Amino acid sequence: MAELQKSEIVGTPALNGTYIAEMDMWPFETPEFNRIYPFYDNLRAGKFTTTRCKKCGYVAYPPGVICPKCWSEELEWVELPQRAKVETFTETQAGAPIGFESPLIMAWLTFGEKSPLKHLLGRIIHCKEGELKEGDEVKFVVFNVPAHPIEVKKETKVCERVYYAFERVK
Amino acid sequence: MAQKKNAVIVGGGTSKFGVRQAHLLDMVQEAAKAASEDIPGLKPTDIDGLIVATTMAGRHSSALNTAPLVVHRLGLKPTSICIRLDTLCAGSNSAIIVAKGLVESGISEVILVTGVEKVYMPQRWETNYTQLAVNDHDWDSAMGLGVPPPFFAMIAKMHMKRYGTTKEQMAHVSVVNYNYGVSNPKGHFSGRTLTLQEALEARIIADPFGLYDCCPLSDGASAVIIASEERAKAMSNRPLVYLRGTGQHASHSMSAGWPGETLAEWPHLKKAGEVAYKNAKLTPKDIDVAQVHDCFTISEIIECEELGFCKKGEGGPFVASGAIKLDGELPVNTDGGLLSVGHPFGASGARQSLEICRQLQGRAINQVKGAKFGLAHNLSGTCSQHTVVIYGKEPVK
Repeated sequence: MAELQKSEIVGTPALNGTYIAEMDMWPFETPEFNRIYPFYDNLRAGKFTTTRCKKCGYVAYPPGVICPKCWSEELEWVELPQRAKVETFTETQAGAPIGFESPLIMAWLTFGEKSPLKHLLGRIIHCKEGELKEGDEVKFVVFNVPAHPIEVKKETKVCERVYYAFERVK
Repeated sequence: MAQKKNAVIVGGGTSKFGVRQAHLLDMVQEAAKAASEDIPGLKPTDIDGLIVATTMAGRHSSALNTAPLVVHRLGLKPTSICIRLDTLCAGSNSAIIVAKGLVESGISEVILVTGVEKVYMPQRWETNYTQLAVNDHDWDSAMGLGVPPPFFAMIAKMHMKRYGTTKEQMAHVSVVNYNYGVSNPKGHFSGRTLTLQEALEARIIADPFGLYDCCPLSDGASAVIIASEERAKAMSNRPLVYLRGTGQHASHSMSAGWPGETLAEWPHLKKAGEVAYKNAKLTPKDIDVAQVHDCFTISEIIECEELGFCKKGEGGPFVASGAIKLDGELPVNTDGGLLSVGHPFGASGARQSLEICRQLQGRAINQVKGAKFGLAHNLSGTCSQHTVVIYGKEPVK
């Protein structure tokens, strides 16, 4: 996986770099605002992970701080498969939300019988319109997204961020 | 425990739906005025409860605590309940479920349920951008899921693949609904007819959807009165329309939790329907008229299947056969539905329930002869929740 660079953008692209959390299209990824921040740390390490319940074994997605099956707090981080199959997909040329490039390709992915995560709506990147086919295999890919500021006393801390999508296996 | 009371829908009204030159609270006032004209015996002082359904009031109108604003603008003085409620596209039918419980238990006597949205903003991009916040933001929205057409296009593609549904069958839904809605004075597309050819030749929004496969986003408000049987009799001479049974079911919020074998199966709707039929002591065969959530043509097709109006997989041939027309087996979306009337999220449910009320009272514009039982349905979110309300001319015994 290519090494992640520092974000070029800090703030909300729709607001020309001003940051208003209400207009943020990405998650809060830092420990100050999210208890599942290890998910994002794991993304930075190239890992696709979630939480598994140590009590009942249930693997939840997205990860959480309790198990949605038995409400236990005893969870551990586990890796998920990084390859999936395109069941069906949609390509948006016009009308993609600000911050997403066109064509915006989203696919309904299946991760196979053995995977605890069965389906996911996944964005397909590095792909031209008309290139993707049903049945294609895709793989997990991580990239930088705009950073955001946090006020810490009188200082401003810049929080780097990443997110994930999928690309075709060629 | 005291004897349970019967809850009825007395009547109501809506504002004009569409791209409105109006504030959120202007439209609530218009809907309330229309409701008072519909129920001449209704006095604002009769209303002891208010439930306001809205999703975008906070973000688009800077009106986070909406209920007191509505109280003030309508001159109400509620004493039993005064809340805002949000289940996105199912808001006001959810409010009707709550109102039913409050009236049946004796906590409230006369509740105004109003749904309202100001969707359109000074800059169009902001309306679309807000949609990132109505899906599961950190997960599906971060994949680019904003406005609904791409997701429902995948549902349509899957239904076409699994069950052989065609674009032409989908077009039948929009043609029927536009032609119902042509005479609806309050609709987004009032006066607009549609032919099969126009529907099939429309510009593509998201393959396989053309323009007329998608409902518009609309500004608008609706208002209905839910009251005890005794109070309803005091304010109106019309036939009583009872709230017989309701069901509401959600099992996930984001794509990873999708409950169906594929996107073409909606078991969560089936479940919501089963619960509502059981509570109403009715079966799908008993329903004479239905309002189902036709945000897209494929939605109406799948809803007819999962609500038991036809067999699973046969929704395409069912709608194309004319079954959903006024002289068909089960007239559906007789006021024009979301496709023609438009879709101000929180306002749509009460608009549907009002049409069922008018049908069962025998005064709808497109009247289904002798209709005794009617059903209203909303899906909401990224098809993550389903809400079903069943009405009848007799209470459940």
